[in-house]
This record gives sequence, structure tokens and C-alpha cells, in this order.
Amino acid sequence: MESDDMRDFAAEARRFLDAHVAKAPDRTALTWGEGDDSMAYFSSLPLEEEREFVQRAREWQRIRHENGFGWITGPVEYGGRGLTPVHDLLYDAIESEYDVADTGVLSVIGLGMIGPTILAHAQPRIKDRWLPAMYRGDAIACQLFSEPGAGSDLASVATRAVREGEDWVLNGQKVWTSVAQHSQIGLALTRTNPEAPKHRGITAFLVPMDAPGVEVRPLRQMTGGADFNEVFLTDVRIPDDHRLGEVDGGWTVALTTLMNERATVGSEGVGPVAAALSPDHLSALMRATWTWDDRALRARLAELLVDVLATEHLNARALRRLRAGVAPGPEMSVSKLMYGQNLTRAAHFVSDVLGPRIIADTGQWGTYAWTELLLATPALRILGGTEEIMKNILAERVLGLPKEPVTAAAKEVRP
Amino acid sequence: MTADESELRELRAAVREFLEAKSPEEAVRKLMESEPRFDPAVWSQAADQLRLPGLAIPEEYGGDGFGRVELGVVLEEMGRALFCAPFFATVLLAAQALLASGDKEACARLLPGIAAGRTTATLAVAEDHGSWDPAMVSARAVPDGDAGWTVRGRKCFVIDGTTADLILVVARTVAGPTLFAVERDAAGLAAEPMETLDATRAMARLTLDAVPATLVGAEGAGGRIMAKVLDIASVGLAAEQAGGARRCLETSAEYARARHQFGRPIGSFQAVKHKCADMLVQVELAEAASREAARLADEGSPDFPVAATVAHACCSRAYMIAAMENIQVHGGIGFTWEHPAHLYFRRAKSSQLLFGGPAVYHERLLDRLGI
Ligand SMILES: Cc1cc2nc3c(=O)[nH]c(=O)nc-3n(C[C@H](O)[C@H](O)[C@H](O)COP(=O)(O)OP(=O)(O)OC[C@H]3O[C@@H](n4cnc5c(N)ncnc54)[C@H](O)[C@@H]3O)c2cc1C
Repeated sequence: MESDDMRDFAAEARRFLDAHVAKAPDRTALTWGEGDDSMAYFSSLPLEEEREFVQRAREWQRIRHENGFGWITGPVEYGGRGLTPVHDLLYDAIESEYDVADTGVLSVIGLGMIGPTILAHAQPRIKDRWLPAMYRGDAIACQLFSEPGAGSDLASVATRAVREGEDWVLNGQKVWTSVAQHSQIGLALTRTNPEAPKHRGITAFLVPMDAPGVEVRPLRQMTGGADFNEVFLTDVRIPDDHRLGEVDGGWTVALTTLMNERATVGSEGVGPVAAALSPDHLSALMRATWTWDDRALRARLAELLVDVLATEHLNARALRRLRAGVAPGPEMSVSKLMYGQNLTRAAHFVSDVLGPRIIADTGQWGTYAWTELLLATPALRILGGTEEIMKNILAERVLGLPKEPVTAAAKEVRP
Repeated sequence: MTADESELRELRAAVREFLEAKSPEEAVRKLMESEPRFDPAVWSQAADQLRLPGLAIPEEYGGDGFGRVELGVVLEEMGRALFCAPFFATVLLAAQALLASGDKEACARLLPGIAAGRTTATLAVAEDHGSWDPAMVSARAVPDGDAGWTVRGRKCFVIDGTTADLILVVARTVAGPTLFAVERDAAGLAAEPMETLDATRAMARLTLDAVPATLVGAEGAGGRIMAKVLDIASVGLAAEQAGGARRCLETSAEYARARHQFGRPIGSFQAVKHKCADMLVQVELAEAASREAARLADEGSPDFPVAATVAHACCSRAYMIAAMENIQVHGGIGFTWEHPAHLYFRRAKSSQLLFGGPAVYHERLLDRLGI
């Protein structure tokens, strides 16, 4: 049912990819004991290697962009291709068959969430300056939203922005900021009117990460690596043209970012994570550990696979509807919830299959490596809106259940 | 034939309107206690006005030749309304067994009556142990010398077994499990109703004492036929389950918005709100799994057998969770006989275990995945 236009586009994508990269080895059809057994979800590389990794990501993004695949949905005036989200999805599906550099460091937050927000809300000079740079791979962007006192309750951000002539001066602290250590820009939510109800006193700014007063301190996470950071803003001076949206109108800007965030998390599925959920991989693991005929484990494996495969069906149907021009519905939030839960259950299931081999490294291929995924899974139930917050959203927006009663204290911004 | 999205919506609306008129809760409750457990007048209307029995039967056998996707829409609505009718046994078990047998003569003889709603039918496989695995069948068939056969044995859990006009029976011959057709009034056939957990689905125990029977399909083909029938029937069951689960979710959400305690709607308490969100997650997964399996069946995709088992497992669990939590959200009133919540609970549990339950479908899934 693909139209001619889609067929031509797909053919062009394949020509481009064939000319630049090799086909990917099929990670799900594995030969036990061969190849890379890494199960890393977050990076745990030493800084030097991490920099090379980021460099490869930038390089591949530049090549994509030069060939018209860097920003498929972007407006032509900013270096985009002006095509539909369906083209974008089609390209992603085709590219996943190839062995390309992992560009998550630029794409998940920067291109996936911040780019669309800049496009929708930034002033013209900022769009001209940063959008092409981002999609060329020159600029990485981070999301300076969460603060020590404002996580789920994001609207209570306390970082202050005070107007001084044509500029704004920012003071405060952000936390859990992924990829800040590699970023050239960050999108910050700040408090500009402490008197107003909390959703109406927020303003969004694009912060150049090399501006004086911006300090990024790596924050080590439970995996051992440091993917996220604390970001301290001390008298950071930002010109007014770096403001997104209206003064005190930053909540609208934030919603654009969050909407895009929920659409990206949960649609991932390549690399080690796909292997972790693939029936072939899990069955190979059970054979290698002589547990394939353990009835209790088999029952749990079946339950896990039912959820994994049903979630795939949910995603496939959403994709098909999207292709038919129907906007995504509640299945996106369901999909994000299931993504975290499926990986969490997979990690614990595998741990039980491995037994002692997951508590100490025996050197056996494909065993202790699972600790990387095991230790990453708690984050998947927190980032991009915790499980509890996602359930509130589903119940309130889809089922029409009443909101939490709003107490006087909830309307205020507590320091 | 395949219907597009808007035709599917029309089909759903027509079936829902019909069932709201003909199968409201009072009607369901009345039928649960009557014999037969369905209203023959309503069954005729479903056949004459909506052409439901023949919807997915090929045109050459008098049906309308639609696919499983369309059938799924009808079954979701029937599950939602707990419609008491011989639809499941006739259309999803018996008609599918005839089609799966590849026996053109039997199909031409028996399917037109089914398609027109004149014949009700069922499939008798399980015996006292309740297993639908044809390898477990001990009923026997022997040739009667006259190109016919006689069947001896006992069958259990036969849906609509006391009322069906036509009974397809799996019995063992020297060639292995084999499918036979038996008429309702055949000599030597006795049927007695079984008491059932779910009174909206009647079941019977059959005793076959040298009952005359006609061979359907090849001798020894019962195993192959049943593998196909179970896939299709469990996807049909999954659609019913998804419809029932959706109804439980809607009832719970509605009650959670309306019922007040401690001065606020109970739906504003997170424990209740999150329960409803969890039900929604289950229902969305169930619909995706059953609809996707139906689509793969219509496309003749090699992925269908795995998808069928996923749908069966996913919808069985989703319905059970939704039916259980529906009672919890309603509190004491949900535990009363008067409230419909228990009807869904009973249907959910009985559907989940109809073909053997988790122990069976989990192994079937792993087997299909080559694990
Ligand atoms: C790996 C990782 C990367 C991240 N990257 C970024 C990033 O790049 N940029 C950024 O801005 N942020 C980032 N975050 C932050 C993330 O968005 C927050 O951690 C998340 O929104 C939760 O906020 P919190 O940590 O303050 O927890 P809290 O909000 O304090 O929540 C603590 C617990 O209370 C529960 N809770 C809170 N409110 C409610 C409620 N109303 N109802 C029910 N339960 C509730 C939560 O669900 C949770 O279980 C990242 C987090 C992680 C783990």
C-alpha cells in the first residue's frame, strides 16, 4: 500500500546507506559465545572513549545531513527536508538494518525534543543560528528542566531569571541533566515571576553551555558511569533574543518538549535492548545455562514474551495508524510504560536464569554483561515522567478521572 | 472481502445497537436461568437482520466471505454485552473445524445452514480431563460397514452441547484422531447440561453409545484440523475477552468519577486512579494483540500462529485483571448478585481456562517460538 513517493524515498535511502555503510549483523539471530556481548543501556565508557563515541555520532549525523536524511521532517529553510513523520519513521526502519554509528547522544534529547521546541517557540535569529547546526551534528542540546526541588512537579522550578536591560541573568541549579557534558546549548526553564501561580511564572531560555557562569559537574549514576550531570547557573547572562515563547509563558514551551519526549521514549528498540527482549536470544541463554526445561522459568519466560510481543503489536498498530494519518493516541503512553516494565522484567528474569553468574564475573560470555542492563532498568521507570506520573496522565486524560485535589501549597513555589 | 476502517466502525455500531436492544443485562440474566440458554427469536434476528453467523463463512458456502478482522469486531461487541447465543460454538468452533478439514463435500452440505443461522453447531473434543489436545482423546470410531461410522465415548465441556443441531466430534480411529459429524437426534447420543461457573456459556456432557457418524476430512487428520481450529477459535475468544475487558474498564472509570467518599470522587485517590490506569494498559494491549492476530490471519501471514497464542494469553490475563479490579473499584456493591461485575468475572475466568489456561498456552507459545 506504500505510495510511489514512499517507494522512491525508501529506494533513495537505501542507495545512500549502501554507499556509506555496511549492513548490520542481525543482533537477534546470535551465535552463542560469538561477538559483542555488551548489554549497556547507558554509557560506561571512560571520558576519552566517550569523546570518540560522540565524535562518531557527530560525523554520521553530518553525513546523513549532507545527503538529505539529517532532518527529514524539518523545514527546508533550516536545512530540513520538509517531509512527513512517516518518511522519518520509514527512514529509521531502513537505517536500523545498517551498521551505523549510534547517534543517541544527539538525537534522543537534542533532535528529538529540543529541536522541535526551538522550531515552535524560538526567535528567528536563534532558529537560524542553532537549528541547522544541531541537525548538521555540530551542536548537541540538553534539557535543563529538573531541579533538586522540581522533578515530577516540574512547574515548581526555582532557578531565577531576572531582567537586566536587554539581558536576563540566571541563577540556580539543574540536576539529572543528560548529555550536558557534551552539549553546546541547553533549554532551561526558569522562574521569572515568583508572585504568579507557579505555571504562569516560568520563562524558557536557550543557554549556550559555554556562557560564563555555567558549570557542569558529572553525576555518577547507579550503573557506575556518569551520563547525567548537575548544572550550576551562577549569574549567567543571556540576551533576550534567547528567550523562547513569552515572558512567563514558558510552561507552554515546556509542554512542547514533554510531548516530544513521551513520543521518543518507548519507540526505541535497537541494539542490546532488542536482543534482551528477543525470544531467540532469551532461548539461547536458557540453553547455554541448561535451564531450558525448568518449568518455572519457562512459565515466566512465556509471560514475559506475551507482554513483549503484545507491546510490539501495539507499536505496529500505532505506526500503521500514523501512516494512515491518524494522530497517536493513548497507546504512546502505554507503550512507554510497557517499555520500562518489559526491560525490567527481562533483566530480572535473566538474572534468575544466570543465578550466581550475575553476582560475580565468571568470565563466561554473555552472562555477567547483563549486570549493565539490570542496573540501568530502574531509570526506565523514572526518566521522561515516572511510572506514577504516566498513570496519572492515562487515568486523567484518557479515562477522565478527576485530578488530584489542589491544595494551596501545591500552587506555590516552595524554595 | 475486507472492510475499511469506516465500514468496521459501521459494523461495530450496528452490532452494538442490536445487542443493546436485544441483549441488555435483564435479558442476559433471564437467559442464564433458562433452557436453552439463548433466545431463538433473537438468534434468528441476528442471522436475518445482521447476517452474523455467515459473516466470515466463504461465499461459496452461503456466507458473506468477510475475514477475521470483521469477525473480531462482532466478537468484541458480543463479549462486551455477554451475549448469550450459540455464536461461538457454531461459528468459531464448528464452522472453522469444517473449513479446516478441507472436506468440500461436508462444507457444501453443512455450512450453508450454519451461514443462514438455521443450523447451530458445536465441536466436542475435550473429555473428562478437559484437555483440547486431540492426542488425549479416547472416544473411538469404527466403520459400520456401510461407508458410515459409529462413535463410542464420552465428551465433556461441550459448549451448547444440549442444543446444537450438529455436533462435530473428534474420535480416535486406527489412523489417529479424526473428525466426525453427528446429528443432534442421532440414536445413542445423550446430552446432559453441566453446571457452569459462567452461566452465559452453556456446557454439556455427551455420552455416545454407538452413535452413527459421518467422517469429515481425512481419517487421522484430527490433530492437524484441531491445531488450526484452536488458533482461530482462541483469537475469536481473545476478541470477546478484549470486549469484556473494555466494558469492565469503562464501568470502573464511570463509577470512579461518580462515587464520592471522604468528600471527593474515589477516582481522585491515586490507589483507585492507578488501578484504572493499569486496567487501561491491559485493555490497550489486549485489543492490540487480538486485532493484530486477526489481521495476520486474514493476510495468511506465517506470523499468525505465534500471534494467535500471544492474543490468547494476553487477552486472558487482561480480562481476568479487569474483571477482578472492576469489583474492587466498586467495593461492596461489586460483590452483590445484582451487580453485573460478577458476570464478567465468571466469564473472564471461564474463558481463560476454556482451552486449558496458562499452563497450556504458555507452553504453546514457547513451542511456536521454537523454545
Ligand atoms: C537517567 C535519567 C536521566 C534524566 N535526564 C534528564 C534530563 O536530561 N533533563 C531533565 O530535566 N531531567 C532528567 N531526568 C529527570 C527526570 O525527569 C526526573 O527524575 C523525574 O521527572 C522524576 O523527578 P524526581 O527525580 O525529582 O522524583 P520525584 O518527583 O521526587 O518523585 C519521587 C517519587 O514520588 C513519586 N511521585 C511524585 N509526584 C507524584 C504524584 N503526583 N503522584 C504519585 N507519585 C508521585 C514519583 O513517581 C517517584 O516515585 C533524568 C532522570 C533519570 C533517571
